[in-house]
Amino acid sequence: MPTDNQDFIEGLVGDLRPHQPLTLRRGLAIAVGSTALTVGIMALLAGLRSDVMTGHFNPVFLLATGLFLMLGVAATFAVISMSRPQVGNTHGGWMWAAAMAALLPVSAGVLGVADHGSAFFQSQPAQGIGCLVNGSLLGLITGGALTLWLRRGAPTSPQQAGLLTGLAAGSVGIFAYSLHCPYDDLYHIGIWHSLAVAASALAGRIFVPALIRW
Amino acid sequence: MIADDATMARLMAMSQAGDRQAYATLLAECQKWLKRFYARRIVPHQIDDLVQDTLLSLHRKIASYDPARPFLPWLAAIARYRWVDHLRKVYKADETGFDDSFAADSSEPAIVARISLERMFSYLPPAQARAIELVKIEGLSIAEASHACGQSESLVKVNIHRGLKRLAAMIEKE
Repeated sequence: MPTDNQDFIEGLVGDLRPHQPLTLRRGLAIAVGSTALTVGIMALLAGLRSDVMTGHFNPVFLLATGLFLMLGVAATFAVISMSRPQVGNTHGGWMWAAAMAALLPVSAGVLGVADHGSAFFQSQPAQGIGCLVNGSLLGLITGGALTLWLRRGAPTSPQQAGLLTGLAAGSVGIFAYSLHCPYDDLYHIGIWHSLAVAASALAGRIFVPALIRW
Repeated sequence: MIADDATMARLMAMSQAGDRQAYATLLAECQKWLKRFYARRIVPHQIDDLVQDTLLSLHRKIASYDPARPFLPWLAAIARYRWVDHLRKVYKADETGFDDSFAADSSEPAIVARISLERMFSYLPPAQARAIELVKIEGLSIAEASHACGQSESLVKVNIHRGLKRLAAMIEKE
């Protein structure tokens, strides 16, 4: 006569279906694909900056865009890692990338104080709101892909996974939109482009955990 | 004697490919491992329930294991998560006793929910519908539900799992 535990195991065995494991390679392929799709859609809808087309880059643009891309890569890597739990895992690498990217708003703030508070007006607020909205919207592609990935995974901290999903989404989104945005001003980038990342991270922290089921 | 990490990793890789015999062996080994893992970390009479909850999580999150990595650290992470979750539930149940009784008194929303659920229930196999109805709607314990419907306690749990999975997939079905 089967015991309760035997019944239980037999039930699970009967429910077994083949599953493709969430390997790092697959996760990175999805991340690269969603980033490429984001850039493609942005280029198609808004067009690329002239210096991106000609290859004569502005140094501030290169530095800022690179920082956002690296933050996106680091946060994405952390999300993929969190979906595959393991005692002994660490997910702190993204903090260094976030600290480096934070230099942009911090620098804008420091320079703004030196300029007696004129940073906000010099940051092109009217265009900045467009960057905030469009960067955040473009981030939905990466955010959606990572959220679907997380739903199959087993993040032991859904709240942090949500925050990092939003951070990755916002970073990739604003990276893509930076390839269109014509402003190289540190105030503009430090305030509005950073706000897109912060807003996405907040949205991820609020909405994504509820979508992760154990 | 419990299988070693390499054996369990191999069984898991075979399970991910759909090998049910390997999966049955793996679950039996995991069950033994988890009983030892949880020993003295929760009250003894709750160990079996927690082990089954953890096996259910293993089952749902089977794709999150990467065969290129060791198995037991993955299982331990799942087991820790379930253990913390278990403790949280126990704490909340103690703390919110008054709220629960209040919720039981306010029966009107439950009736409304019941009407819409009845239609969805008609698509479920009777055993799954009964298990969900007794435990999730009427608030019976697994043991009471088992006694009421004649299914074993484990079968009640499996039927709830399968039934909820089906219900989730047909929420928009008329």
